[in-house]
Amino acid sequence: MDELLSVRGLGRRYGTHPALAGVDLQLRRGEVLGLLGPNGAGKSTCLQILSGNLAPSSGEVQVLGLDLIHSPCPAKRHIGYLPERPPLYSDMRVDEYLAYCARLRGVPRWQRAEAVDWAKARCGLADAGSRPIIKLSKGYRQRLGLAQAIIHAPDLVILDEPTEGLDPVQIREVRGLIRGLAADCGLILSSHILSEVQAVCSRVLILRDGRVLHQTRLDRDAQTPNGRYLVRLERAPQLRALGALPEVAAAEPLAAGRFRISLHPGASLSFLAKRIVESGWGLTELTPDRTDLERVFFDILGGESRGGASGGGDPGSAMQEAREPGWA
Amino acid sequence: MILVIARREWQASFLSAQAWTLLAASQLILAWIFLRVLEGFSGLQVAQRKVGITLELSVNLFSFTAVLVLLAVPLLSMRILSGEFREGTFNLLGSAPVRLTEILLGKFLGLAAIVIVMGLVPLEISLWLGLATDLDLGLLAAATLGVWLSGLMFAAVGLFASSLTTHPGLAAVASYGILLLMSVINHTGGVWSGGATLFDWLAWNEHLFWLLQGVVRMSDLLYFLLFTTFFLALAHRRLANRRLG
Repeated sequence: MDELLSVRGLGRRYGTHPALAGVDLQLRRGEVLGLLGPNGAGKSTCLQILSGNLAPSSGEVQVLGLDLIHSPCPAKRHIGYLPERPPLYSDMRVDEYLAYCARLRGVPRWQRAEAVDWAKARCGLADAGSRPIIKLSKGYRQRLGLAQAIIHAPDLVILDEPTEGLDPVQIREVRGLIRGLAADCGLILSSHILSEVQAVCSRVLILRDGRVLHQTRLDRDAQTPNGRYLVRLERAPQLRALGALPEVAAAEPLAAGRFRISLHPGASLSFLAKRIVESGWGLTELTPDRTDLERVFFDILGGESRGGASGGGDPGSAMQEAREPGWA
Repeated sequence: MILVIARREWQASFLSAQAWTLLAASQLILAWIFLRVLEGFSGLQVAQRKVGITLELSVNLFSFTAVLVLLAVPLLSMRILSGEFREGTFNLLGSAPVRLTEILLGKFLGLAAIVIVMGLVPLEISLWLGLATDLDLGLLAAATLGVWLSGLMFAAVGLFASSLTTHPGLAAVASYGILLLMSVINHTGGVWSGGATLFDWLAWNEHLFWLLQGVVRMSDLLYFLLFTTFFLALAHRRLANRRLG
């Protein structure tokens, strides 16, 4: 895999306020990097710099070895950018707009019609070419924003909160689009929603107050990232009895009736559930334990993490949101 | 890339009713003035006519066109950058492989194209008179050049004002402010008698006056060129500063 993006010591100050400080990151082709963090963490500032819209106060950015700061035009040819608000001209029609974007991005005249058709097909806009942009729904506007970002087949696609404000069906569509795009290029997307990042990213970088707090690779093929589960039982047995089940490698008691268990590699979760039910322990909950990523994320958000991880209380709505698309 | 952006601006202007309305209103107003000039001129005895009809048209019709352009350009230019900032569409230009200078010149050319069309309206009206009498075409050309040069300078001012804010209304007010100041700066009333020459030189209408007389002076051409470049440079600085935050 070749390196698409290399960022070293990226910093940005607004007056005396550091919006971004010492950010290092790399991106390779085929990777989807998620910038995760609460509002105001510096995600959009970082993406604006990477798209060439904002100058950094310090650091360097290289796109395919081209210096984005000092010679932006050659580097920008390889970048597609969808800002938080799609940059659409409401007085144009979809085809006109995409043709204009293709011209702006330097797509040769003889390839423009093909590029417009390709971007439309990719983003589910094949039948929307003659529609006025002002009449498009929010989901279609987001698709068109994506289409303009990929019309020149860039090596690096930058998406700032691509599913913000969309309904669940539209979110699923946009996520599908992002996964499809990742096969051909490298993607960076920002979000303050953990599930968003978990659903589409191969790597995640957590930002807070403009600093990188945590970086990790996400293995979305694994059943859970760490093989650990939380179990709630109505008639809790001795810890030793739970630990003696063949699928269980280790068990740890939490609050009343709750345990954290680790499974042996390759152990079947359905067999474990069957055994617990057959033992008559009254299984009421079997959920994946939080990952390190979730812990860090909730620490950033202000700390519901420990309570949930230690088994106290029901997960909050944020946690449900975090688990919703799952790691399956 | 300059032409791509200019074409987009040109199309955007004519997709809205704004440019059409301005052109239609200009045509109507200028046609009325043309008739008044013609009526006044034809009502005079030959001995009473101190200047020819072409100069009458130049001084009345073309000078009023310049005023119309002054009133129209801030309305045409107010959204050209501030609207892009406000709607977030400037991000499209900012992330495209296009230099700030190209963006600015593209926007300027788009605006200039409308100004040039507006400047052609009095010429077109005047040329109809050529069917009935001899016209001083050189004088008409100089007057048209004067209206164009004034309009291009107004467009540069409008572009600069539009780069200052995300509110198009404020941009229009700023444009009017600068342009009106440059219109009345020579009306010092003798207070600044020592610097009157400088204030006279700063007023755009002093320079247009000579062109409307058919006198094309290098100093007047340089004045318009200098101030057009000056305001474009300020707009460029403003865009660069915006990127720097």
